[in-house]
Amino acid sequence: MVATDEELVARSVAGDVEGFNQLVLRWERPIYALAYRVIGRDEDARDVAQETFLRAFRALPGFKGQAKFSSWLYRIALNLCRDWIRRKKRTPLVEMPEGVDVVELASEQGPAESIEDLVARHEMSRIVAEGMKLLPEEQRTAIVLKEYHGLTFQEIADLQNCPLSTVKTRLYQGLSVLRRHLESQGMTRYSSGGD
Amino acid sequence: MTKFTCDDKANLVAYLYGEVDPATRQAVDDHLAQCVACAAEVTALGGVRSELGLWAPPDVELDFQIVRKTELPRPSVLRPARWWSTVPGWAQAAAAILVVAAGLSIANIQVSSGPEGFSMRTGWMAAPAPAASAPFDGTAVEQQVEQALASLEQQLRAEIRSAREEQASAVSATAADPALLRRVQQLIGEAEQRHERALAARFVEFTRDMNVQRRADLMRIGQGFVNYDDQLMRQRQMLNNVIRISATPQQ
Repeated sequence: MVATDEELVARSVAGDVEGFNQLVLRWERPIYALAYRVIGRDEDARDVAQETFLRAFRALPGFKGQAKFSSWLYRIALNLCRDWIRRKKRTPLVEMPEGVDVVELASEQGPAESIEDLVARHEMSRIVAEGMKLLPEEQRTAIVLKEYHGLTFQEIADLQNCPLSTVKTRLYQGLSVLRRHLESQGMTRYSSGGD
Repeated sequence: MTKFTCDDKANLVAYLYGEVDPATRQAVDDHLAQCVACAAEVTALGGVRSELGLWAPPDVELDFQIVRKTELPRPSVLRPARWWSTVPGWAQAAAAILVVAAGLSIANIQVSSGPEGFSMRTGWMAAPAPAASAPFDGTAVEQQVEQALASLEQQLRAEIRSAREEQASAVSATAADPALLRRVQQLIGEAEQRHERALAARFVEFTRDMNVQRRADLMRIGQGFVNYDDQLMRQRQMLNNVIRISATPQQ
């Protein structure tokens, strides 16, 4: 039977490092993905994810279970991302190669996917990443938490320390900017009057 | 009754993500059935959402792990071992005794005792004639030497025993690490898979390059035929001109 987060947290607080490592294994990829999408750099996202777990481990005795463990981790990771953006004093960059390396791409190729489809998918991904880069940090974070981590409006509001209505406004504004960006890249099917 | 208007973007977003109560959902549905602009906006934003799914972070290996300081392996390659630290203690002691004995024999130390007490001479010079005196009783000295040798032997045996025990424990620790072995095998397997994928991709690239090259060659050959036709045409025209000129009567 798989232990719940709460059980693993209890074991970790009691000094079982292996219990905490199971939590790390469970959450390292979502936390890395969150950091990558918010700050846009692979190496820095790894650092942020690693630091998130270190801080969580050190602060574990103070974690009283007032929030979900995942929400607590997300909060630590988002604070670190915010520190990173503030420290670097720059908008997030999205690492995208100039050309498309077929060898790199082939490793991601699905069983029934042609190279042309793969290139097209990567091009779309690049355009979406560019659009995300255009958004202010709050809107980008709200969209990342909603779209990729499935958090509720209330959970996002708690993490961003803002009212529920602000979260909805951020999401609407962010999606609208992305829509305009996709249209400007020739994806007219998102245009209101395009079809 | 809940009413929805075009500028109610908060409820529009809530509707888009399915986080609305049934009454609001019904109100939005009713509005969308009448308002083309809002219906198009909902469709467009839904499309943006589906495209967002294409943006995935790199598939990297993370393998974060919390390790206690005491569990960290001691660094074994940071400091080169001194050569004598690899020699067991008993062998070092034996070597020291050998060196001292060799030194004594080279120096030709001679110890003698007489009425004046013990005297010691070194070097290869002739020894003075011994004075007539009472014979030296060396029994006590022999006993001391025997005791010292016995204690040295015990010490050497203890060191040999401890060295063997250390070696045995090191061997068992190495054998009891199958997890490391599995990890190494896994890494080798992953590396092989990566190589296979890279090879397959190179093959695809090579095939594509071949096709491009073949097409380019065919175009070049086609162009060559066109040029050849042009040249042939020009030569025919020239020939016709020559025939025409030669057929024209000279004035």
